[in-house]
Amino acid sequence: MKRPLLSLFAFFAATLAASAQPAFEAPPPTTAPVLDAQQRRAEYLHRVDEVLTWAAGGGNAKTDDPAKLDLAMIAAKIVRGEDLPGCSQRVIALMKEPGTGPFWMFPSVCIAYLGRDRLTPEALASIRTAWRTTRQLRGDTENHWAMYYLSLYLMAELYPNEPAETWYSGKSSAENLAEARSYLVHWMDLATTVGQGEFNPTNYIGEYVMPLQFLANWAKDPEMKQRGTMMLDWFFAELAVSTLNGVLRGPNSRADEGSVIERWQAMASYFSWLLFGNTPPTAGYSGWGLYFAPLAKNYELPEVIYRIATDRTDDYLQRDRARVRRFWRYSDELSPPVYKTNYVRKDYAVGSTTGGRMDPIQAHVWDVSWAEGDPRGKHSTMFSLHPHSAPEAMMATFVTYPEPMIKGVTFEGKPSYDSPDKTLGCSPYERVFQDLDTVIALYDIPAGTRFPHINGFFSKDLLNVTEDKSGWIFAQGGRAYLAYRPLAGYEWIKYLHYTTGWAKTRLDLGDRLLTSPHLKNGTIVQAASVSEFKDFAAFQAAINALPLTFKLEPTPSVQFTSLRGKKITFTYDQTPVVDGRAIDYSKWKLFEGPYLNAEIGGRKLTLTHGKLERVLDFNTLKITDRVK
Amino acid sequence: MVSSTPRFAGLLLGFLLSAAFAAAVPAYDFFICANINRNYVIGSKIVTTNGIFQRAASGDWQHLGYNDTGISAVAFDPRDRNVIYTTGNNGLWRSLDGGKSWRMCNDWTMTEARDVAVDPHAPDHVYLALPDGLAASTDRAQTLVRRENGLPARGKYAQVVQVDRTRAGRVLLGCERGVYLTEDGAEFWRQVLPTKEMVLDLQQSPHDPQVWLAVTQSVGAWRSTDGGVTWAKLPGVPLTHPLYNVTFDVTHPQRLAIGSWGLGVLASEDGGQTWIDRNAGLPDPHHVCRVGVDPTGQLYASVVGATLFVSADFGRTWKPDSLAGSVVNKFLIQPKSVK
Repeated sequence: MKRPLLSLFAFFAATLAASAQPAFEAPPPTTAPVLDAQQRRAEYLHRVDEVLTWAAGGGNAKTDDPAKLDLAMIAAKIVRGEDLPGCSQRVIALMKEPGTGPFWMFPSVCIAYLGRDRLTPEALASIRTAWRTTRQLRGDTENHWAMYYLSLYLMAELYPNEPAETWYSGKSSAENLAEARSYLVHWMDLATTVGQGEFNPTNYIGEYVMPLQFLANWAKDPEMKQRGTMMLDWFFAELAVSTLNGVLRGPNSRADEGSVIERWQAMASYFSWLLFGNTPPTAGYSGWGLYFAPLAKNYELPEVIYRIATDRTDDYLQRDRARVRRFWRYSDELSPPVYKTNYVRKDYAVGSTTGGRMDPIQAHVWDVSWAEGDPRGKHSTMFSLHPHSAPEAMMATFVTYPEPMIKGVTFEGKPSYDSPDKTLGCSPYERVFQDLDTVIALYDIPAGTRFPHINGFFSKDLLNVTEDKSGWIFAQGGRAYLAYRPLAGYEWIKYLHYTTGWAKTRLDLGDRLLTSPHLKNGTIVQAASVSEFKDFAAFQAAINALPLTFKLEPTPSVQFTSLRGKKITFTYDQTPVVDGRAIDYSKWKLFEGPYLNAEIGGRKLTLTHGKLERVLDFNTLKITDRVK
Repeated sequence: MVSSTPRFAGLLLGFLLSAAFAAAVPAYDFFICANINRNYVIGSKIVTTNGIFQRAASGDWQHLGYNDTGISAVAFDPRDRNVIYTTGNNGLWRSLDGGKSWRMCNDWTMTEARDVAVDPHAPDHVYLALPDGLAASTDRAQTLVRRENGLPARGKYAQVVQVDRTRAGRVLLGCERGVYLTEDGAEFWRQVLPTKEMVLDLQQSPHDPQVWLAVTQSVGAWRSTDGGVTWAKLPGVPLTHPLYNVTFDVTHPQRLAIGSWGLGVLASEDGGQTWIDRNAGLPDPHHVCRVGVDPTGQLYASVVGATLFVSADFGRTWKPDSLAGSVVNKFLIQPKSVK
């Protein structure tokens, strides 16, 4: 058994030497599950080594001179035992200009722990000094606070019994530790009872799992160590169930232009590649993703999570709860619930929340996305939205004055917020209902609203886009047929894309927007697999035969019998009715589906695949595995 | 005698000028909370000097304390200028040694504090305006306790807190749903001015402590002449744009100024009866986030995206001040303290 593995490693080593970022440049990996546990582990370790090799080699800069490396690359060199004196010198240099918040805190914690017995005392002291001299901002988002308190907890444990004047906070080690622990337990309690505020983030998953991994490895308190381990599983289980071929699908609490249009272009894909091996990694392993690698070999992905992530032989429906980030003002509730649905099939996925207000800048409410053989560069998604931009939305979520902030955020990694043709964000004037692979989105936009229209995204990668005289627009995406029904008149405009959050210009990549200026409006999308029909014409005929009536005045309302035979009645701001039964969202569980199940308030997540079951019980802090 | 008369007159004039000068020597210090960071995001390096600045006699701004890029407000212990409170992203910071060292006073249950005030008659008592209410301390912020009895369950986003200088424990709070008053050190609050949107600033007149002004996001400017118990809308202040703050002029009882996003600087020289646009010479658009008046009567306007401007004639003409590129979050005129 050992020889083939050694050969495999030799091949991997040769590959690493020949290519800077092999998996990124290589053909896409197979999406077929690797059933042999030993092989699966070996491939995982190989991927970890690929990241470490790339990082220790200076990334795109291709230099192993520590003086030119950042902390993530220094971390890779430390764990590989390369040029430790040089690493120490670099750490000392970098600590002369510390950062000012959680994005600096967790990397410095990473180095402080990795370097405990490897870096010079001077280098370690330089980190400790920076934690005294430089005030650390806690930030204003859930991921900021997770990074902040996970980092503070670990540093306070690493340097116990030190007085208040040795910490930037002016609090002693014991005070810092107690505060951090208190918040972390509170946050985990919240996440495991009513759900995360930042659910299914396309990129911010890294901001959670990296410091959680530090906690799972380095916490001295066994309870906190266990909490770290269990939360890692929790996050990766949610990632697994929300992906198709490793690409995160459906709604996101927070996304960006890149990851909404090119769904693969997200740090979530990096983690899918690393853990599941079923999609290519992102460029530079998403940058921050590098911090997961130094300890990645200590992590054993539970088989049940791997199976959930990679088995798409059966269709499944997952319905979950989450919550909106804190609304400080302009809301009767601090964190209203979010109801999200994901329906995943082999060829495509359909996902949504029920619309309304969530994160005002970065929410992604719904989409139909299809599988691509190689997701890189593919815009495999279809959705519509009202491009909402308003001071009230900003004021609800942030404490800054809204007027300067609306312009300010466009310089802070969210360039499209105040653009009428944007494709990111939620609106208080959107309501969404999903039943399996049917989505109905209704809009009732008050007169005088800024950007009084809706945008529908039509990808450059759609085939055979056909504007039928019936009013339906038919298309094919990958192995999915799509039918899009605008409920009011529209015109086509070019979609111009910000390739990154920091892009100064927008590119015409060939996508289009269906833009409709009618305040009372709506979209219906019905998806199906190509394999369900004889041909495209048959699909069109089937859609045209579906009973559909709608009205937009005085309130948008749709009656539609879906391709799955469900008679859906959905009126804006009213409870959806399916086959005569009203949807009762109050009965939704925290997780409900064939793979993930948890009760509201339960603090217990059951992961199931076939005969495999794993229970994460935060009441007892116990993990229970069994084969049914 | 003929020759002596001018000399006497000159001496008399000199005496009168000296006396006038002595009387005009400000009994106040003047501070600002300023950020000079463009496009700062959480975690990035701070490459400029930010935080508290004091106006020196030379006219220079002298930095005080920590280089704080997120500062929103400052308050001092009236007994001891070395006791400093600042608010910002993390909550409340306190220094007991003139800004050399600091302690974060709150834990995770409080965040993103908007304003802080110290009771001049009970200087150990500190009030903290929070996005979800109010906290108070009776031990110089060593411990902070929520004091929200009487505030609404929702709508208590507190932007500004001001202590009435005439009586201990009398505090006004500007919230999402109006102005609230406590007369017992925040044991109980009552609404004295209901508003449908944010109250953005509250100020007590330095000339008549019964007179208070409030400005709002969308419902104009208001005045109270009975210590904040009843309020009347100030005529002549447009409702078209948010009014970010209001200021009195310690040198002139009739002078008031408002800073507005969109309206820029509005000034009144008749106690608020009439208001005049004082934007000539300021950058367009008129995105003024704060106005302030220093102890000599100079008017300042912080223009977002530009810099801090100063006017020696109450806004008729302007010139850029130092601190290029700054955005001022707070002007604080403070009676000179003992220490």
